[in-house]
Amino acid sequence: MDVWLLVPIALPVICGAVLLVSAFREQAVSDAGDSGTGAERENRVSAGLCAYVGAVLGISVALALAAAWTGDREAVLFTLLDAIPVYFRVDAVGRLFVTVVSVIWVLAALFAFVYMRHEGKEKRYFGFYLMLYGVLVAFDFSGNLVTMYLFYELTTLVSMPLVLHNGKRESVMAALKYLFYSLCGAYGGLFAIFFLYRYSHSLTFTAGGTLDMAAVQGHEGILLIAVFAALLGFGAKAGMAPLHAWLPTAHPVAPSPASAVLSGVIVKSGVLAVVRVVFYIVGADFLRGTWVQQTWMALALLTVFMGSMLAYRERVFKKRLAYSTVSQVSYIMFGLSLLTADGFTGAMLHVAVHAVVKCGLFLTAGVFVYYFNYTRVEELVGIGKRMPKMLWCYLLLSLALVGIPPTGGFVSKWYLAQGALQSDMGVFAWLGPVVLLVSALLTAGYLLPVAMKGFFPGDAAAADSGAGNHGAAAVAANEVGEPTKGTKTGSGTKASHEWEMSGKEEPPLAIRADGREEAFPAAKADCRKEPAFAMLLPLVILAALAVLAGVFPGALIQYASEIAASVL
Amino acid sequence: MAFVQNFPFLSIILSLFSGPLCAVLDGKWARRVNGAVIAIIGILSVFVLKNVIPAGQPYVYRMGHFSAPWGNEIRVGVLEAFMACFFCVIMLLCMMGGIRERETEIEESKQNLYYVMVNLLLCSLLALIYTNDLFTAYVFVEINTISACGLIMIRQTGRTFEAATRYMIMSLLGSGLLLLGICYLYAVTGHLLMSNIREQVQLLAAGGQHHISLMVALGLMSVGLAIKSALYPFHAWLPDAYGYSTLSSSAILSSLVSKGYIFLLIKIFCRVIGFDVVTESKVVNVLFVFGIIGMIMGSWSAIKEKNLRRMIAFSSVAQIGYIYMGLGLATEAGIVASIYHVLSHAATKSLLFVAASGLSDASGGSDRYADITGAGFRNKLAGTAFLVGSLSMVGMPMFSGFISKLFFAQAAVGHAHKMLPTVIALAISTILNAVYFMKTVIRIYTPMGAYDAVKGDGTGKADGIGKTDGTGKADGIGKTDGTGKADGIGKADGTGKADGIGKRDGTGKTDRAEENGAGSERSASDWQEVGRTGRQVVIWEQPAKSAALICFILLNLILGLNSDPIMRLIQGGIEMFD
Repeated sequence: MDVWLLVPIALPVICGAVLLVSAFREQAVSDAGDSGTGAERENRVSAGLCAYVGAVLGISVALALAAAWTGDREAVLFTLLDAIPVYFRVDAVGRLFVTVVSVIWVLAALFAFVYMRHEGKEKRYFGFYLMLYGVLVAFDFSGNLVTMYLFYELTTLVSMPLVLHNGKRESVMAALKYLFYSLCGAYGGLFAIFFLYRYSHSLTFTAGGTLDMAAVQGHEGILLIAVFAALLGFGAKAGMAPLHAWLPTAHPVAPSPASAVLSGVIVKSGVLAVVRVVFYIVGADFLRGTWVQQTWMALALLTVFMGSMLAYRERVFKKRLAYSTVSQVSYIMFGLSLLTADGFTGAMLHVAVHAVVKCGLFLTAGVFVYYFNYTRVEELVGIGKRMPKMLWCYLLLSLALVGIPPTGGFVSKWYLAQGALQSDMGVFAWLGPVVLLVSALLTAGYLLPVAMKGFFPGDAAAADSGAGNHGAAAVAANEVGEPTKGTKTGSGTKASHEWEMSGKEEPPLAIRADGREEAFPAAKADCRKEPAFAMLLPLVILAALAVLAGVFPGALIQYASEIAASVL
Repeated sequence: MAFVQNFPFLSIILSLFSGPLCAVLDGKWARRVNGAVIAIIGILSVFVLKNVIPAGQPYVYRMGHFSAPWGNEIRVGVLEAFMACFFCVIMLLCMMGGIRERETEIEESKQNLYYVMVNLLLCSLLALIYTNDLFTAYVFVEINTISACGLIMIRQTGRTFEAATRYMIMSLLGSGLLLLGICYLYAVTGHLLMSNIREQVQLLAAGGQHHISLMVALGLMSVGLAIKSALYPFHAWLPDAYGYSTLSSSAILSSLVSKGYIFLLIKIFCRVIGFDVVTESKVVNVLFVFGIIGMIMGSWSAIKEKNLRRMIAFSSVAQIGYIYMGLGLATEAGIVASIYHVLSHAATKSLLFVAASGLSDASGGSDRYADITGAGFRNKLAGTAFLVGSLSMVGMPMFSGFISKLFFAQAAVGHAHKMLPTVIALAISTILNAVYFMKTVIRIYTPMGAYDAVKGDGTGKADGIGKTDGTGKADGIGKTDGTGKADGIGKADGTGKADGIGKRDGTGKTDRAEENGAGSERSASDWQEVGRTGRQVVIWEQPAKSAALICFILLNLILGLNSDPIMRLIQGGIEMFD
């Protein structure tokens, strides 16, 4: 019984719950909903709430990291059934995930301190935000399958209020969709747990698996079905086809920091669940060469490709990022499905890289929503003139996701491709890398044009004022997503020059089809060049991390390959 | 014979005679007597349990010391004592939870009669649990039916008369079939005492005699008790009876009355017919199939239901389906799982009923689904309790529902033919449960301010939301993209600045107007009116109900977190059946 393992779990959960039931009152938001931008209101969530959340989160994160990185700890909370305690243990995979979760959580919280003024109901948001951190730490530290299942469900339930935060019909429906996908998925996992309970020595996670081969003898078929159900089920949370549809629905309606942690971290809990089932209970050897592995791999590749395609043609920025998550997390799934050491290493690397990058990208989207209420890609033309630093962060993050050296994405994708080529999976050995490459191209196609148009709006924005301006912007919007043309560059600089000359009276505005851009006084009274410091700082850190992970990947690679060696 | 061994008989007699006693007292005193009786019987049962567990074997209590063919016997094992104790706890909590509803919904002059019925009901439940005599069981089944009818119709509305009549008809049908079955069995074996019948049946089964008669008897008794406990195709009486009667009646009926019959059926399976004979028969397969259908159809009806209490009632149909599915597995593990589910469902369902009434307290007394929007904020304890109950029903680990699902699955895994149907049925039913319970939880935790956005069928409103949210916008832009540049410009021109501002102001104004309740179409709908009369309910407003809710939550957690000892108790009890 190691209390220090339980404290970082209990502390944020309790403090979050206390915050939820406390009598703390938010400052009244004059007009709830999305009708105004945050900038016109007070800039920060009230200081007391910030201090409380910051303190609790800081202490919890410090304790969680300390618990994770100082030796192998274990703790039994209580016994659910004879053979099934609720049991926590720190191991290598858990350590990696806890670290990723903690980093993302702190940065997204920092961002949310400013951002949530825009959404209102900060108390509820931060209450569940704190609780969710505790639940995720518990999930990552879980020592057996039932404990993991328990916290998997709790993750779903506690993260749901973040999705339905603004309480609109779409949000509630999206949250319900998320809930049902996750619950259906979780039941797939539970189905497998029922069978694994019978056919394995224990449900405690053991590297290499605990399957009782003598008991399995003659029941391989049903066990494979059960494992497949778990893969599909836990894959639902990781956005793997065919249960990926909740992601693009849930992300656009959730507040941006919530999307950031949802996409960066919570989606990864599906990955961790799959890792636990496949590598720590069933064992890779049992699946190698079976139809389960092949189907899994095929589904992962299909999702990689399909997610990229859907992202490419999606125009709502956050939805595009959500499809991107669908695609990128299936990179991880593909790496796992290879059941080779390099594939596993690549998957673990990509977990870290994608978490950092996608969190950063969603925070960028949050900045757009917060200052301009821009949600669509074509509205972002010329954004780099107003927020150059932020767009640089976006660019670096995008490059990392595309996988251009020397960023983190390159390293992880390198290992994924290596793993695929080494595996003896026949057609998948070469099809896998090909799909990964095509998807990387598509990733470049849907992420980079935003940055390009942001910095170089083209001659469209050069038009001076009034309706003509809007029309031209709309024209420019049509071209977002296409590869840039050489001619645009020159005129783009010219346009920006003209804008700077003409002062701030008419910044190059993009158009919304219903003519609602006038509703964004922030855009008109656009004096600031950059987002608030508390918003910019997380972005800079995330961008730096994404790049540094590629420049100095040695330690991370070694760590991941040690895990891979232990489970394979 | 230790004095403690008299306690089961004493508790039956105590509850039987406190019934008529309540008839001559006034309402308030009857309530006190009733509460005291239930509590005393619960304590007596604890003593019995403490006495039986170390003994390790059951004892038979002969009334008046008459021996076998004429005498009437009580047989006390671990499981019987535990059930008696558990039923008393649940009943006490249900009575505590429904005090205020009884005071307001039942006529002043009939208050005491309610407690007569409750005492008789308790008496009959105890007798069903303890008796070793099949005919005595039948007699108390009838007493149970009559008192249950009284509990339903004492809240005098047209609905409850109809419900009680329905319940009476279906129940009498069930009792009739049970009686027929008992007659058959008596004709074949010549005994009415359970242990004697058992011996005789074993002989007959070994010799292969009277096979058909035995099967018919078994079938009749199973179907009879299935009707009375509302197994799927016979459930039509249930939603009305549970949905419209007064709160404590609903809670008691759903958590105890049907469970008493199920316990009797388990006793018939294990102690009268003998488990091996039952396993061979096809009756269990029939129960299994109807159990599974019930699990799914009950949930399906619950999803469609718009009234909170009727929804919970339909959920009972599904949960009883679980229990029959477990019985239908015809293994010891299956029966253990069923008994565990009897416990967990009793604890959860009465919790849900009481919590639902707490929620409607905070919503102007309405049960309608639309009215309870945000009720979880207005009555925090009831909201929490409903959340706990829902999570338990959905099968969240740490709560009792998960454990019983785990037991069902464990019992099914490895079963020759019924493994896949069971596990798949569990899967579907879990998801369906999640659909309606989570929907309700979200509903009760939706702040009133957002009701218009959540309200699903507001037609005029939906348009407004589409506009502000910009879902329509997506289409517009898609169009510009598709048709090319010139079109895009044209459209952009169309939406000039002034236009936009005008539109926005307009929507803002209408929004505010609607919020003031001036919007004609919406103020007409009564759910909103009720929403306005919703009020804050604090914990100490109804101390008894709050205490009951807290105890129910604790009970649920105990069943969910500490299942091993209870599991061992049940297993020990089932072994004692032989």
